[in-house]
Amino acid sequence: MSDAKNHSGLSRRMFMTGTVSAAAAAPLLAKSTEAAEPSPARSAEPRELSAVSMRINRQAYNLALDNRTSLLDALRDHIGLTGTKKGCDHGQCGACTVLVDGKRVLSCLTFAVMAQGREITTIEGLASKDGGLHPMQQAFIDHDAFQCGYCTPGQIMSAIGCVNEGHAGSQDSIREYMSGNLCRCAAYPNIVDAIVQARDETRKV
Amino acid sequence: MRPFTYERPKNVPAALALASKFAAKDDPPTEADAQFIAGGTNLADYMKLGVARPERLLDLNGLSEASLRQIKITDKSIRFGALVRMGEAADREEIRSGCPVIAQSLQLAASGQLRNMASLGGNVLQRTRCEYFRETSWPCNKRKPGSGCSAMNGFNRQHAVLGTSDACIATYHGDFAQALIALDATVEIEGRRGRRTLAFAKLHQLPGKTPNIETNLAADEIITAIEVPLGPWSSRSRYLKIRDRESYAFALASAAVALDMDGDTVREARIALGGVATVPWRAGAAEDVLKGKVLDEATANRAAEAAFADARPLAFNGFKIELGKSTLTRALLETRDMKS
Amino acid sequence: MNQAAPTPKDNQGDPVVRIDGRLKVTGQASYPADIATANVAYGVLATSTIARGKVSKLNIEDAKAVTGVLDIVTYGDMDNIGKPKFGNTSASSIAPLHDRTIFHDGQIVALVVAETFEAAEEAAMLIHADYEDEQPSAGFESKGTKTEAAAGKNPMLKEDPKAGDFDAAWANAAVKIDEKYSTPTQHHNPIELFSTTAIWQGDQLTIHEPSQNVTGWKVELARQLKLDPANVRIISPYIGGAFGSKGPMTARTAIVAVAARRIGRPVRCVVSRMQAFGTQTYRAETRHRIRMGAGKDGRITAFGHEGWEVTSRPDPYVVGGTSATARMYDYGSVLTHVSIVHADRNTPGYMRSPPETPYVYALENAMDEMAAALGMDPVEFRRINEPAKEVIGGKPFSSRSLIKCYDEAADAFGWSKRDAKVGSMREGDWLIGMGCATAIYPTAVAPCAARVRLTSDGDVRVQCGSHEIGTGVRTIAGQMAAELLGIAMEKVSVEMGDSALPPAPVSGGSISTASVCSAVMQACETVRQKLFAGAVGKDGPLSGSGNAKLDMADGKVGAETGKSAKLADVFKAMQVGAIEEYAEFAPKGSSPEALKKLYAGQPEFHGGEGDEDSVKYAFGAEFVEVRINSYTREVRVPRIVGAFAAGRIMNTRTARSQLMGGMIWGIGQALHEATEIDQRHARYVNRDLQDYIVPVNADIKQVDVILVPEVDREVNPAGVKGLGELGNVGTAAAVASAVYHATGKRIRDLPIRIENLLA
Repeated sequence: MSDAKNHSGLSRRMFMTGTVSAAAAAPLLAKSTEAAEPSPARSAEPRELSAVSMRINRQAYNLALDNRTSLLDALRDHIGLTGTKKGCDHGQCGACTVLVDGKRVLSCLTFAVMAQGREITTIEGLASKDGGLHPMQQAFIDHDAFQCGYCTPGQIMSAIGCVNEGHAGSQDSIREYMSGNLCRCAAYPNIVDAIVQARDETRKV
Repeated sequence: MRPFTYERPKNVPAALALASKFAAKDDPPTEADAQFIAGGTNLADYMKLGVARPERLLDLNGLSEASLRQIKITDKSIRFGALVRMGEAADREEIRSGCPVIAQSLQLAASGQLRNMASLGGNVLQRTRCEYFRETSWPCNKRKPGSGCSAMNGFNRQHAVLGTSDACIATYHGDFAQALIALDATVEIEGRRGRRTLAFAKLHQLPGKTPNIETNLAADEIITAIEVPLGPWSSRSRYLKIRDRESYAFALASAAVALDMDGDTVREARIALGGVATVPWRAGAAEDVLKGKVLDEATANRAAEAAFADARPLAFNGFKIELGKSTLTRALLETRDMKS
Repeated sequence: MNQAAPTPKDNQGDPVVRIDGRLKVTGQASYPADIATANVAYGVLATSTIARGKVSKLNIEDAKAVTGVLDIVTYGDMDNIGKPKFGNTSASSIAPLHDRTIFHDGQIVALVVAETFEAAEEAAMLIHADYEDEQPSAGFESKGTKTEAAAGKNPMLKEDPKAGDFDAAWANAAVKIDEKYSTPTQHHNPIELFSTTAIWQGDQLTIHEPSQNVTGWKVELARQLKLDPANVRIISPYIGGAFGSKGPMTARTAIVAVAARRIGRPVRCVVSRMQAFGTQTYRAETRHRIRMGAGKDGRITAFGHEGWEVTSRPDPYVVGGTSATARMYDYGSVLTHVSIVHADRNTPGYMRSPPETPYVYALENAMDEMAAALGMDPVEFRRINEPAKEVIGGKPFSSRSLIKCYDEAADAFGWSKRDAKVGSMREGDWLIGMGCATAIYPTAVAPCAARVRLTSDGDVRVQCGSHEIGTGVRTIAGQMAAELLGIAMEKVSVEMGDSALPPAPVSGGSISTASVCSAVMQACETVRQKLFAGAVGKDGPLSGSGNAKLDMADGKVGAETGKSAKLADVFKAMQVGAIEEYAEFAPKGSSPEALKKLYAGQPEFHGGEGDEDSVKYAFGAEFVEVRINSYTREVRVPRIVGAFAAGRIMNTRTARSQLMGGMIWGIGQALHEATEIDQRHARYVNRDLQDYIVPVNADIKQVDVILVPEVDREVNPAGVKGLGELGNVGTAAAVASAVYHATGKRIRDLPIRIENLLA
């Protein structure tokens, strides 16, 4: 199958060389500020790349992706947004949590082609343009709600989702609704305190 | 992962047309070349593990029928569109108060993120989490019929004690399904050969000699809705889930209970058990014990004994019989004590 | 109130926020697999599905045919590469691709490299081995294992500690306990996946891999690849949890490097969660027999501790926690013996408090049993047996605040409200139990180098090849420099996690804060002396204050006379723009080769029970409340209180977080964690985070950490005892004690699960 066709006109090799970083990749990524392509992606051959459009952190992206590529790997390896972490790749740890159309989901169990036309928010999209931190980010610093920091982007995205869903009413509710995010350093009590602090000031994202 | 083509049909007929074009009619849906995906929380996991190997993925999230995403609540029933997400259903206040067992069975499952993703139709069809099934290097009759069951004489702490066969002891791990089977829910199914309504209790199949066939669905059928009848038992209902940790874990034992009480006496009980059986498990024998009786601890214990009379323990899961009984006893007493 | 920032008491530093906090909450902290790498190819491992035998044929044709596959590294491809050596820098002597012998389940049989992750993963799953398989031995229960005495086989346990006439004391003891305990296999499971990215530029190799030992790995990888260590660089600026798992280098690193050289492109291999169970290390299962004899007065007259530990066929891995248990209390006599049991398993490795977690669990359980047998309060029983000196070598403790810890923790916990009668406390359907146990961890320190630069603008840069695994060492190193140089934290930057930096020892054994701070102190002290000389010199702004005591604060050099000079003015007088000092710290008692060994990646450890003058330990006391449902018997932990004394606390925020994390680890060890092994096949069964259960947020309610003030000037120049590992020692025994108090059931085998407590 070495002659896999590439209807997107973007060679795989070229594409791979374009994954250096978001900035370096920009010339090779068809990045535009136009509205995301509304028509559904489809591919006639299993190994054919699919054209996928989505908005990530308020920026439109048009990508050519293997159907098997998870949203997580698309973010990390194809767009250079490595803030979203891979901790298990099977929906068991929560490190890959992002917001899709405002709802927290696991990007590792989401095929990127299925995110066609969606609005994605990652940890990189939280701080304001002037560098001001989102109240949840500041609260995580204030309450030392992490140690190694690896699960932290997922915790923060999940915490924002938890508050937006209305599940942060009590400490017990926060504990329950944040249980999909493992923290092996076990900063759990600090995470709960951080969410309590940010709860009332968190703006909807 | 096996490469696959991806299509996003625009409506149910289009989805069914694609499925019937590519799926051999007699394949179980889990072995068909073309498979449906909604939330993906179970299927994407199993595709990554090489357990599920569809060649075509049909994404149901583009289906235009509005009813698929609606919850309709009347005095008589709750009707869930199949694409309603678990989290949305669990959060509906009318359900939390009017039929707590449904809301609790959803809320105690998985995690906040997974509940935002998983559709109700997909949730009831989730496949077992048996460790030997999950990993393709082990022989497994469910994954590869005839290859043998590695769990039978292996590490089987999480495996079933009810509904097992000599071919398979894998537990059905879902929670929502226990509430549905207890409450006599029905599922609406659409296929190329038409529409049908099935008692939820008939949806899943015991493993028997063919553990690879898990449901009565054909590969070109989809669940479009789930309907739960309401009655005097609905508000006095509860889901109790016992697990190794407080959250984000599968049940070691669980009980879905709904009681129609006349004072201290049980008019009618609806009971299902999770974490202990190969399929969603209605505990009819326990219900019979309770009918017309004053519900006290002794009666609850008798019902629990009846529920597990046919249980078959193995080397590491024998405790599930004891645990299953105490879970049911506790659930019955706690449900009795609910204000209704 | 912000619980995360405890108010410092005596000899405790400010709760400064983490220097890398902003990077970590914005997703900008780059872990090794995040590093942007041009033209990178993706590697995926294929691993064995048997635990013992030989690969007779490896079928790779289907894998090779997958579109996008670039290369498959397998048998024959590593022949010119040096085999790994078992030791502190290398996890195991098992060299998976050097010969076809299979030593354990999940052993690497090939590395597939492809243009995309998806192609590499698809291909790796198509690789199938034909085996000549043999019946493997899984562990203690299996036939075919080989047991040998551990003492002398491994530097961790030179000899079995003993004291006095145990046999006579045991025979004559008025009250006796003779019980067996066990702890299961556990895997570290840091949330960051293990990964290696190898990049060649000519004969220069750069490795991005999460590591707790960049210097050691540089030297070891150079040896394996037959390179000059100067041409190898290991970079690991942020590490997503380690807990010991990233201390020793595994066989994968060299394999990925070879693959990258073969295809002439960088290769990144991120190991799946499942494959990590067999390709990385783990905490081996242990068994214990404890014999304890005491007089009716509660004094322990005889203490016998026998331990057994599982290891691989070839490697004598052992933790030998009897070193600590034999010195814990004022025993009249001690007899210990540790055995290792060779099975068909991968080689174990260090996991958070490697010796103490299992061995102290057994000891503290026995202490609780003895207190019950004596009808004595468990805190009182420990007080009675508090030693003046340790009983093995007769040395004093450099400091020992155990009883103070017990008193403070007991008070905060409300121990006096506990009804000692078993099963007496209850709330509704929930049985309540309360228990306690001792935490102990040796205080060690190792040679370390650091470079500190101060510019005339008051910017400070600290460089040290240590590792920020979440402990806060990057923050603390900066805090130390900020304090000594009188500079605000905002002006301080700290570089770590790179073998090109001044070498630091492995970040294990809770030595980092002590070792790094001692080196940073030394460098800062030289910077200060140079500045002071410049300030008071002939042309200096404080000229004439030569005899005054000088200090640095608020960006100034100040004399005790009250005169002060801005840094810029001192630099101007000295006619330099920056002062940079490189310091090499060697602890008291270091050998003449100590610094040379630091550069060679084989640092000497000092402290613990190894020093001449005293034994050095940190102590703590933990109290736990459990609630157990009377019907369904699940155990929950609504609160836990720990009081710890660990010398100087550099930063109360990071110290509390580490101890809290340790205590929660202890709860996991007590109730959740175990790697299950299919005994027939010696294969791990629950190789993921679905079935390897660790605590989640909802499991943890109230956790109180008390930092007990303690001064210890003997341990090291910084006066610091490590505490990254202290917190999870003893916790599981405290939980077991509480479970006994609630139910009357004495659970001696971890984890304590529902099935142990059902009627």
